[in-house]
Amino acid sequence: MDTDALTFGQLLERHERELFAYALRLSGQRADAEDLYQDTFLAAFRAWPPPRQGNERAWLYKIATNRAIDRERRAKRIVANVDDLAIAAPERDDVTLADLAGAIETLPAGQRAAFVLRKVQGLPYLEIAAALDCSEEAARARVSEALKKLKAAVA
Amino acid sequence: MTMDMVIGEARERLLARAKREGLATVGYDVLESPLGPLWVAIGPKGVTTIHYGDEPSDRELRRLVRVYGPGVVPDHRRSSVLARELDQYFNGKRREFDVDVDLSGLTPFQTKVLAATAKIPFGAVSTYGAVAKRAGNAKASRAAGGALNQNPIPIVVPCHRVVGSNGSLVGYAGGLDVKRRLLAIEGADLFRPRRH
Repeated sequence: MDTDALTFGQLLERHERELFAYALRLSGQRADAEDLYQDTFLAAFRAWPPPRQGNERAWLYKIATNRAIDRERRAKRIVANVDDLAIAAPERDDVTLADLAGAIETLPAGQRAAFVLRKVQGLPYLEIAAALDCSEEAARARVSEALKKLKAAVA
Repeated sequence: MTMDMVIGEARERLLARAKREGLATVGYDVLESPLGPLWVAIGPKGVTTIHYGDEPSDRELRRLVRVYGPGVVPDHRRSSVLARELDQYFNGKRREFDVDVDLSGLTPFQTKVLAATAKIPFGAVSTYGAVAKRAGNAKASRAAGGALNQNPIPIVVPCHRVVGSNGSLVGYAGGLDVKRRLLAIEGADLFRPRRH
């Protein structure tokens, strides 16, 4: 459908589940995820129309990612050191989801967004680059860097 | 709590904020009815749309966006009065609708045809020719048929009460069977069309 007849309701129905899941994975907490979800869609409604027809999903991811990064900067969140996490973790053979989630939390916002977009949301690099406003190469580099840190954290 | 419930609550809060900022102009909902699902929309001046089915037509959506912008959002609360009145109508407990209707965005002729149609009382039928005449052009019965076929608010604007001069049903956007059922609810006598 062309954007002439695209409505806020359609944007919500098509993308809200995916965006909410993304917000939840990025922020790790329901209340924060809800704020991010609301801020993202409100920002989209205010900035209407979408910049490119048929590319609304990448547009929403971009808004959500920027907002999440801004929020984190404003909160001046103290990010735990990955090495500290590895030292604190007890010795084990298997890695639980909670371990992984904890390690994801420690990633810098840009890398965390890249990792979640690729490995959890399953977006192609082209869309990740659009969401993060960087080149595909840079998006790959961020995912790769995030993976390296996560592997080290849960090793 | 399921993911759907969490998102549902988040959505309610989002839409309340959008409404406060004047970003949400039209609220829509899908109502269940004996005729199947009805996609309904309510704008600032009243009911804008009743569409047979659970999704609106492109034409209808374009009209809403043209008149009220893209702020067309899901809203169960806004449709509650219409839902109650439709329920009462289908159960034989209501003969007239009290909800306001909003025909913005239609051509002047369509508006006149629908305004004339709105005056046909419960249980009565009129003809395309009579409606065309009331709309100001007695020779335009075919055009009146076209306007009625694109009636955005069927049932409440009772285009089902317009039939051929010989009592034949002729046509209906929701299908002839639906037209027949609506007339049966009202106990209309097809072979005695009145001049309304």
